Formats: sequence, structure tokens, C-alpha cells
Amino acid sequence: MERRARRAALAGSALALSVSVAGCGIAPDPADAELSEGEVTLTMTWWGADARHQSTLDAIKLFEEKYPRITVEPTYADWGGYWDRLATTAAAGDMPDVVQFDQLYLSSYAGRGALLDLDAVPEFLDASSLPDNVLASGEVDGSLYAVPIGVAGNGVVLNTSLFEKYDVPVPDTDTWTWAEFDAAAQAITEASGGKVRGLSPFGADSFSLEVFARQHGDQIFDAEGDVTIDPATVAAYWQRELDWIESGAAPDAAALSEKAGVPLDQGDTVVGNTAMAFIAAGQFTAIAAAAPDFEYEVADWPADPDTPEGFQYPKPSMYWAASSQSEHPAEAALLIDFLVNDPQVARAFGTDRGIPASEAFQEALEPTLDEPARKLLDFTKLVGERSGDAPPITPNGASEIETMLSRYNQQVQFGKLSPQEAAAAFIEELQAAVDAAG
Amino acid sequence: MSAIGELRTLRRDGRGGLTADQKQALAKERRRDSKAAAVFLAPWLLGLVGITIGPMIASLYLAFTDYNLLQDPNFTGLENIQRMLGDERLGRSLVATLTYVVVSVPIQLAVALGLALLLDRGIRGLALYRSVLYLPSLLGASVAIAVLWRLVFGGEGLVNAFLGLFGIQGPAWVAEPDTALGTLIVLHVWTFGAPMVIFLAGLRQIPRQYYDAASTDGANKWQQLRKITLPLLSPIIFFNLVLGLIGSFQSFTQAFIVSNGSGGPADSTLFFSLYLYQEGFAGFRMGYASALAWLLLIIIGAFTALNFWASKYWVFYDD
Repeated sequence: MERRARRAALAGSALALSVSVAGCGIAPDPADAELSEGEVTLTMTWWGADARHQSTLDAIKLFEEKYPRITVEPTYADWGGYWDRLATTAAAGDMPDVVQFDQLYLSSYAGRGALLDLDAVPEFLDASSLPDNVLASGEVDGSLYAVPIGVAGNGVVLNTSLFEKYDVPVPDTDTWTWAEFDAAAQAITEASGGKVRGLSPFGADSFSLEVFARQHGDQIFDAEGDVTIDPATVAAYWQRELDWIESGAAPDAAALSEKAGVPLDQGDTVVGNTAMAFIAAGQFTAIAAAAPDFEYEVADWPADPDTPEGFQYPKPSMYWAASSQSEHPAEAALLIDFLVNDPQVARAFGTDRGIPASEAFQEALEPTLDEPARKLLDFTKLVGERSGDAPPITPNGASEIETMLSRYNQQVQFGKLSPQEAAAAFIEELQAAVDAAG
Repeated sequence: MSAIGELRTLRRDGRGGLTADQKQALAKERRRDSKAAAVFLAPWLLGLVGITIGPMIASLYLAFTDYNLLQDPNFTGLENIQRMLGDERLGRSLVATLTYVVVSVPIQLAVALGLALLLDRGIRGLALYRSVLYLPSLLGASVAIAVLWRLVFGGEGLVNAFLGLFGIQGPAWVAEPDTALGTLIVLHVWTFGAPMVIFLAGLRQIPRQYYDAASTDGANKWQQLRKITLPLLSPIIFFNLVLGLIGSFQSFTQAFIVSNGSGGPADSTLFFSLYLYQEGFAGFRMGYASALAWLLLIIIGAFTALNFWASKYWVFYDD
């Protein structure tokens, strides 16, 4: 018995030591892409909440009706696990043929040759319905790798039901200043006795950091992809958050950290823990759909008299891209073409992926819009009028900016680092990641 | 009758000398047996080579490259090792992992042993208790339990509701950097079932006469535990310790789910394997992640070797 135990311990130790690894893939040349003769099965993947899964499945059905020869196998996930899984499948050489992309990762994948050059398949994909300046945000090193689906500004979502419940007047969001914003948030916290907080602060996402930086005449990356943001801007961004936490306008650090990274439908905005939040406006309809008991508005960021004009910009909320390893690049391009040009798709998707980038889509959509979607369209038009030039997209290697931000943000929230220390360390780490990928 | 059984019969019969025919038959049986063994071993061997050894060799190579998942790896020599030396997050992840291992494994073993001793006293309904107490071991590593843990130890969770009964306002345990790791340690301790069952089996192996003789000599229960039970059980304790250490060094799921994959708050639950995963799959630094995997192997190897060395001084083999 004892001898056996000892031997088993040895064998067990040897076995329990396991190590992970991944393989590599080889890409075919996209230029000789042509439609296959027989049946083709395409794989396709996207992230999102329930509403998007259903509408995308509907769109796939429409595509399959139009092209009975082609079957589309969908996989979908929440944002959280999506990118890890995509990296794994890409490494294994079985990345889905058509992939919903975010600008965060666009350069990282395109720069490493994982995406199909869409300029190489013009006979199957026509993206000319999109405005040039929007299409440009899907280009890496001058080639189109991803077709923007929708555009959205970064807005403040207001839960007007909570304002009403606690008898706090909704500020005039057309002209509001930061002081008015802070006062409204504080009023909510006080009126509810702390049960509801005035706002969910920013602090952990690159979109809000970019808009904040632009409010201070700064930007995160320069055109060469270097991290040129002033450390003082980043520090101010976190200091603002700390001020809100301290004043009680925002939930405390532990409550925020508990909600960090939870799916949208469990977020503080949806469950009614906070009355205002900074969101990528594309999420507005999803938030409204997830919380049918609440009324929401979406508004532009507060601005002070000395805030530069044009701090907003229409950021592509997401893209369609195809895998460079796809066995059916022609069919993949065909699917993307269908998704960006067919008016039926416009109606199926609604505004869940942001206001469509193409005007034809906007027109097809307008009569069908429900209340939240109409608000989002109005907001997007407002942003369009107010916006300045778009900043450069996230460079190759910098896709971790979100996880870095949330990591340093937590260290700031819990007082492990001062905003200044965190800002310096964050910029250094981000630049190192860009350099390493260069 | 099984092949092995037949062989035994043959051997027994052959003890007095074998005829040529019998020898031939015996050799044939042996060949057939080794074929059978190979067939039965094949799935395991294929798994070992294909899923463990092969990837290990590949990752050893990748550990010295800049492999980024999407492009072919380039050999970069010792760059990854240099990177480790200046890696602050690696340091934090080592601290979190070591704290977790050093605290949770001994506590878990103590709880398992204590319960095994209680159950071994021959209480009624032993099978039921054993099954119920074993249950957390089956569930503990699952995603569902980790999700549940998040809720139980959340700001509005069960634990705080309970503390609230006594007028204590508890923190959001999973969300505070100072307590988040503690919730994972509690989760690990809670899965005491597997070592407990092994302890129970070990206790059953200790001959009752020893205790009878000891009571006759006037030894009390405590002395019996110290002088008989623990020494005779020490190989089992050692076995559980080794497996517990190796297993908890590689913990991943719990931290991944409880922290939403971030290892947060503020890297307080950044287990080594979680950091490795982040580097490889979120940061596209699979070369570095492979180097980290080998570092983990070396660390676990060192701890295990230390364990075996130390076992000479406290593990008693009754032979």
C-alpha cells in the first residue's frame, strides 16, 4: 500500500506537470479567389448580447435564402471570451471565415497577416456605399482589411426614470458643463440616500480616454502608432474618477471592481445602480432593451466653455473582416458584401451595431426605428455635426490597451498607485507593447 | 478466464518443470498478453505523446522565440528569460500563487484529515456523509461554482447577508484586493473531499491491533493519534501533499471566473497560469507564455523535489 502510494505520487507528479502550446497556419493567396462549384460552408463569428445574436441569425437566414449553395455556421460569444477564442482559432489555423472585428484588434491581426485583403476580391465585395472617411478606418497600411458596420460616438446615457423617481431635474444636456453634470450626479446619490449613485465613472476603456484626451486637446496615439498622450492627461482622467468616488457621485472602488467586466445586462446602468454612465453609444439600444422598466436618454459629453470643439468623433463600432486562411475567400467576401449592402440586413440588424455607416442603410432603417433607436440616430447625427477628425486607429501591438487601462485603473481606485504613477507606468507599458509588435 | 489468469495457472502448473509444448504455449500466452497490454495502453500512450509530450517539446522551442500566434516564430535566444527578470506582473503573480498554495494546501489537508478521522470512528450513515463531503471536490473546479462563489462573496452576497444578521457590514470580498485571494483559498479548502477519501482509505489500512495494544499499555487517544495514526498515515499525507501542491500551483478556473479573467482586483488573484494565459492569448506573446509555462514546470518540479527530499525525515514506510 505505502509503496504503491509512493509510486503513485511520483507518477502523479510527472503527469500533473502539463504545458500548453499552439500551432501555426499557412495562408493561401487571396488574388486567385473564385467561387466554388459545389456546396460551401462558411463559418462566421461575432460578439454581442442576445438581441444581436438573434438579429444576426436572421440575417444569415436571408443570406442562405439568396445563396442556397452556401451554408453559414455561426458561433457567437460575449465580448469577454471572444478575443481569447479568436486568437486561439487563428493560431490553430481555423479562424472563422467571416469575423466581426473591433478597431482595437484590427491592426494587430491585419499587421500579422491574419486578415484577408479585401481590396483583392473586388468582384465579390463592393463597399463603395460607405463614405470614404469611414471606410478609411478599416484600412491598415493602405489596404482595406475590414468594412465598418456602424458608427457611434461616445455618449452619456441617462436613466431618466431614476431622475424622476428621486425628483432630480434632468440637466439640459445640450449645453451642460462638467459642473452641472457633477451636481446632477451628486443630487441623485443624495436624494436616494446612496442606494443609487449618480454615475458610473469612466476609467477603464480607451474610447472614453480618447474623448477625454480630445477634450484636453490631446490624443492617445499619433499617426505613426506611437503613444504620444501627455501623462498629465491620463492622470487627470483617473483623478476625475477618484473625485467622483470620493464625493459619492460614483460607487466605491469595491463596488466598481465587482462590476468590472460583467456582461452588459448585469452592468450598473442596466440594473439601475447608477443613473448615468459613459458608453460607446452603439450600446444604447442594447441597454434600453435589457432594461425595459427604465427610460433612457443618450447625450453628448458635458463640455466647459474652454473645451475644444470637435472632441467627438464617429468611431466605427465594429467591422466585418475575413480570415486570410479562409478556404473560401470569394464566398466570405460575398457574405460581407451581403451584410453591408442588402437593405433586408439593415432592417434585421436595426441599430444594434450602431447607426449603420452607409446612408442607404440609414434610409432603409429610418421608418422601422423604435424609440431607443430613434434617440440613438438623433445622437449620432448630433455627433456627426459636432465631430472633428477621427484619431488614428489602435496600432499593432496596442490591443491590450483595454486590459492595461482596467488594471491600472483598479490600482488607482484602490490607492495602490497615484494617478500620476499609474499614468506614467501605463504609457510606458503601452509603448513597449507597440514597440514589441513593430 | 482472462489471459493473465491463464498465465498464472500455467505458471503454477509449470513450477515442477515444463515440457517443450508447455513452454511454447507459455511464450504464446506472453506474446498475446503483451499485445493486449499494448492495445489497452494505446489510447493513453497516444494521449501522452500527442497531447502532453509533443506540445511540451513544441513549447520548449517556442519559449526561445517571439511566437505571436499569427506569424511564424523567430528564434530570439534568451530574450524571454531577460523579460521575466524585469517583469513586475510576473512577480505579483508569483506572490499571489505562492500565497495561495502555501496557505490553502496545508489547511485543506488538515480539514480533510480531521474529517477523515471523525468519519473513521464508525459512525452510522458513513457512506452518506462520505458522499456528501466528497461532493464539493467534484464541483469545486467547475465554472458554475466559481460563478456561485462570485455571488456568495459579493457585496450583496450570502456571506454579507449572514454577517448582516450580527450587524456586521462585510466588504465585497471578491472585489477587494485584500480579500479576493482569501475567497479563492476558502474555495480551495472547501474541496477537501478528494484527499479526505484517500485519508479514509489509508486509515482503514492501519491494523486495529496496534490501537488495542496501545490502549492496553495505557496510551490515550491523543497519544495513539500521534504515535500510531500519523506515522502510519504519513505516506498518504505525503501523497496528498504532493498532489495538492502540484494541483494548486496550476489553478486557473477559479481565478479566471471570479476575476472575470483579469486576475484582479489589482492583480491580487493573478494566478501564474492565468497570467500565462493572458500573455499568450490576450497579449499575443505565446513565446513568452511558453517560457512562463516552463518556469512554472521548474518551480513545481523544485517544490516536488524538495517535498521528496523532506519526506525522508517525516514519512514512515512500514517495510
